[in-house]
Amino acid sequence: MLRWLHGAWAVFEKDIKLELRSRYAINTMLLFVLSALFLTAFAVGQETLTPRIESALLWIVIVFAAALGLGRSFVSEQERGTVLLLLLHTQGGMVYAGKLLFNFLFVLGLNLLAVGTFVLLLGVQVMAPGLLLTTLVLGALGLAGATTLLAAIIARTATRGPLLPVLVFPMLIPLLLAVVTATRHALPDGLGWAAVGNELLTLVGFAGVVISASIILFDYVWYD
Amino acid sequence: MPTLTERFTKGGSPGVNVERYRTIRTVVLVAVTAVAVGGFLIEIPRIQILEHTARNLYFHVPMWFTLMAAVAVSAYHSLRFLQTGDLRRDVRAREAALVGVVFGILGLLTGMVWARFTWYQGTNIWWNFDPKQSMAAVQLLIYGAYLVLRTAFDEPQKRGRIAAVYNLFALVTVPFLLFILPRQAPSLHPGADGNPAFSDFTAPSMRWVLYPAFASFIGLFWVIYTQRVRAAFLKLRLHGDTD
Repeated sequence: MLRWLHGAWAVFEKDIKLELRSRYAINTMLLFVLSALFLTAFAVGQETLTPRIESALLWIVIVFAAALGLGRSFVSEQERGTVLLLLLHTQGGMVYAGKLLFNFLFVLGLNLLAVGTFVLLLGVQVMAPGLLLTTLVLGALGLAGATTLLAAIIARTATRGPLLPVLVFPMLIPLLLAVVTATRHALPDGLGWAAVGNELLTLVGFAGVVISASIILFDYVWYD
Repeated sequence: MPTLTERFTKGGSPGVNVERYRTIRTVVLVAVTAVAVGGFLIEIPRIQILEHTARNLYFHVPMWFTLMAAVAVSAYHSLRFLQTGDLRRDVRAREAALVGVVFGILGLLTGMVWARFTWYQGTNIWWNFDPKQSMAAVQLLIYGAYLVLRTAFDEPQKRGRIAAVYNLFALVTVPFLLFILPRQAPSLHPGADGNPAFSDFTAPSMRWVLYPAFASFIGLFWVIYTQRVRAAFLKLRLHGDTD
């Protein structure tokens, strides 16, 4: 067990180091989120939005950014030719856990950045910051859990093309409905914690189920 | 190495009793025809708003059950493919998904038309975010993605394995919709949100058509599915490829 954790941590550390060396993914996502939110803000104009529409816009941007950003996590191994090294030195489960942790932190950062920019740009008031933060963390966990396995699938396709959004969006509908409702209740006119017990439960269950299923299925994708 | 003639004559899956297969196929086709004829001709009680559209019950509900049966068959064969690596399992999973999509689209269309010309008469509403409708749409999107994903591979074993992984992985997220969708929009379907339960407005005479309709539409699925599977098995034997 300790050896397994050590392996997973090593994969995670490698990804962090590589990312900090080039900062390619971080910078791309930073600019993607900023420009997408600016596009949204300009398209909306001075119109006052209902909390429902505000949270819908926010999560659409986040989901698109995550689907774009996480698609690279296994393709880059394929391009650098480091898949064989990983296969030699680690087990499938370690690679999955390491990548999942990296992707989770990546999406969480993305969420915080998106919310911060969104609040600034559209003048959104947050009534229940704790609820919003919980929603962002659980949403990031579910997003990363659903996307990591699919990113490994994308890396195995012949084209490695923009297939990830097509694969992941139908799966994300339960997650999207839950986070949008939970976010709406954290904004003005929302009912706060009292109203979103079911949504938070759904988010926890969703993350648990997709991560468990990924752990079972990952080896079929990873090994030939 | 079997000769070409042998390949064709032994084309189906091993152990298929052709005589019995043809008998069941004939029974199914006769039953589907009988259901269609009976569904339009047998007298039904007139209910306000529904009137004669209640006959859609014989077609719309069985389509939805057939989609569920197809999902179960497809998931089962995907699971078995991961266990065995037998390409015929992959063929079965794909064909069940493909035929299931056709029945799912028909179920959606019959439902949309039904709602549009009863409760939404005079409006322009076709899509009403009914939980069951949304769930069927999500399952169809998943199968669409599944079929597109299949085209991204050249090697049959790899294609089968990864498509099976996606088929199962996407399926585990669908039950969450049962939990989350009814909180988003009210349902038009019986038994939900204070709507009368199914048995309250279905006259006993309607069941004489409805229950055979379930059996015969699932039977129709089975006939189309097995025919396509046998054709695909032949292709697999001749070319060694599934798609």
